[in-house]
Amino acid sequence: MSFTLALSEEERLVQETARRFAEDRLLPRVRSHERARGVAPELVREFAALGLGGVEVGAFVRAIVLEELAAVDPGAAVALDGAGPAIPFLGRTTADPGFRAVVVDDVEEHFRLRDGRLDGQHPWVPADRIDVAVILHGDRAYLVREGWRLDAVQPCGLEAAGASRLALANAPVAAIDDAARARAHLRTWVAALLVGAARGAHRYAMRYALERTAFGRPIAHHQALAFLIADLATAVDAARLAVWRAAAGLDRGESAEWEAACALAEAAEQALLVGPSAVQILGGHGFMKDHPVEKWMRDIRTLAGLAGGRDAAEVAAAALAPEHEAGLR
Amino acid sequence: MIDLAIGAELEAELDGVRRLGREFLRPLGIEADRNAAPVPPDHPFFAMVWRMGLGQPLGVQERPGSRGGARRGVVLAEEMSYWDRGMSVAMPGLGLGGPPLFTMGTPEQKERFLAPFRDRERPHWAAFAMTEPGAGSDVAAIETTAVRDGDTWVLRGAKTFISNAMRADWIVVWATVDRAAGRAGHRAFIVERGTPGLEDMRHEHKMGLIAYESSSFTLRDCPVPAANLLGGERHYAERAGFKGAMKSFNATRPAIAAMAIGIARAAYDAARDFARSHYALDRPIPRYQRVREKLARMARKLEVGRLLCWRAAYLADVEQPNEVEASMAKAFAATSAQEATGLAVEVLGDAGVTADGYVEKLYRDVKAMDIVEGTGQIQRIVIARRLVGLPNA
Repeated sequence: MSFTLALSEEERLVQETARRFAEDRLLPRVRSHERARGVAPELVREFAALGLGGVEVGAFVRAIVLEELAAVDPGAAVALDGAGPAIPFLGRTTADPGFRAVVVDDVEEHFRLRDGRLDGQHPWVPADRIDVAVILHGDRAYLVREGWRLDAVQPCGLEAAGASRLALANAPVAAIDDAARARAHLRTWVAALLVGAARGAHRYAMRYALERTAFGRPIAHHQALAFLIADLATAVDAARLAVWRAAAGLDRGESAEWEAACALAEAAEQALLVGPSAVQILGGHGFMKDHPVEKWMRDIRTLAGLAGGRDAAEVAAAALAPEHEAGLR
Repeated sequence: MIDLAIGAELEAELDGVRRLGREFLRPLGIEADRNAAPVPPDHPFFAMVWRMGLGQPLGVQERPGSRGGARRGVVLAEEMSYWDRGMSVAMPGLGLGGPPLFTMGTPEQKERFLAPFRDRERPHWAAFAMTEPGAGSDVAAIETTAVRDGDTWVLRGAKTFISNAMRADWIVVWATVDRAAGRAGHRAFIVERGTPGLEDMRHEHKMGLIAYESSSFTLRDCPVPAANLLGGERHYAERAGFKGAMKSFNATRPAIAAMAIGIARAAYDAARDFARSHYALDRPIPRYQRVREKLARMARKLEVGRLLCWRAAYLADVEQPNEVEASMAKAFAATSAQEATGLAVEVLGDAGVTADGYVEKLYRDVKAMDIVEGTGQIQRIVIARRLVGLPNA
């Protein structure tokens, strides 16, 4: 039998559970979490009890869960999957609900490594409080358990995750892994969030376009918008498949470096098309905070800055491209 | 979890296509392009592949699910087009004439019209004729008429851009019995070679895909036996006329998308190999970073496009609705492939725009993939109909 591109029964169940949690529990509180720069503690506990995160969950299932959460609230998704992309490197220390880790790809070399200690500042991490930081510096991943300072900053989006400047002052670090593997996990994680955010924005705008009428018919039935809605749907699906490919590769123990770089580059490109287009579909209403599309647009812009941003992913993919065999594998 | 392994059996088939491609498809495609003339039907290559039991339909099966069905179809379609898309259409066999015969034909019709294709001595072709000079995307607007006259139907009209029509044993010709009825008035006829009134058969001159012939012809009071009405009267009494045509498109759209990916992959390989052999990419020359970026974008887009094709094909094989997914695959793959071939031209620099560079041929070839079997715009209409109920005009 040749290739399959479907979720297993179990994966579908996970997806359904995550979707129900997101729609029933997160949706009513999107704006309050945004204002509070955090997710209500009882929801953090509730989500942890569902068992959809944690160490035993592979990259593929994680991608499915993140998409569902981010389709409602990307910031809350970052907060709820608190150990997030650091999980493959942390082992069982992440069992507590509310545990937060950030993984920083130090592409601009803000940090200096001297005698096993890191020094320097990173302008933004999506958290107000952390339990551990993983810094990808050069070709190694370093685990930082102490010696940081977080100063709150005002982010463009993802408020529910928090936002701070991260300063390390001679923080003792341990090299835990090869940075390439850590980067592949990080990029896949961010890309999954982007897919969710884009899907949320697209679906909301699509429904709105069926209710809003102009020139005597639903605006979705004007071809200019119908085509845009079709293109945005394709964009979301294209990005999702790229993420699934990378995540499945990671779970099979492949390095998936190229796949993960492509997943982030694709998800960022497509989500950055979807976010502003969704606002455009709502017109003036899209610009107002009465609707969530403006939030998704900001969240997408913010998400696409994680993991060294789209540039780092594209540069990585470009470095690998001349060696890449594009044939059927 | 998804699994993208294609399996040993298909891998072996792919190897066969690779050998055929390297030795024949690509050289013949390039030769046809340089000569500005299709590969003639009596070329020994066609007789050879026909005797080997190759030839179309490689991408389209009698029944979805048979021999790996749609998944096998997209994988082989990509590989054939990787070597030369023009040659893959020129391959002898039923081509697009197959699906309507299989899905609409009566048992007697299948027996009769498949018979010549069992002769392995001499290659045979069939063709499918819907498009007219005045009706492309808007297939409901075809003007070729069919009028019943005793035991025959008399066809009047003109068809254009029909692949392999000139060398076909028979052509599935779409005509209307009632123009006011739109699609419900459509009927499909099998018009055999030599039928009086099947006239003015001529080559069209294309910008690319030269290896196969695209022909136009006139139906001048062309009498077709009533027995050649595909599916018989009963089929149309159930008002399935247009659906018959659309069904064949549904089956082939993912394969057409895969062909676009195949062409893009050929461009990627050519550009990558050129870059490797002509540029020292690790030197800090600004343009080289752009070369890398272009290669990366091409590789990424063709990978994602392939995943969209594969998803549509997978859904077809497990008999789930794939209309939206097939259209997404085709819309995405065709535009990405156009972009990729254009980027390949840029990677080669000045050499890119000369025939020696090969990629300029791919740039010309691939444009058709966003036009045939539903333009990119039609694919968006299909998607939007399903997503937001976009009404017909």
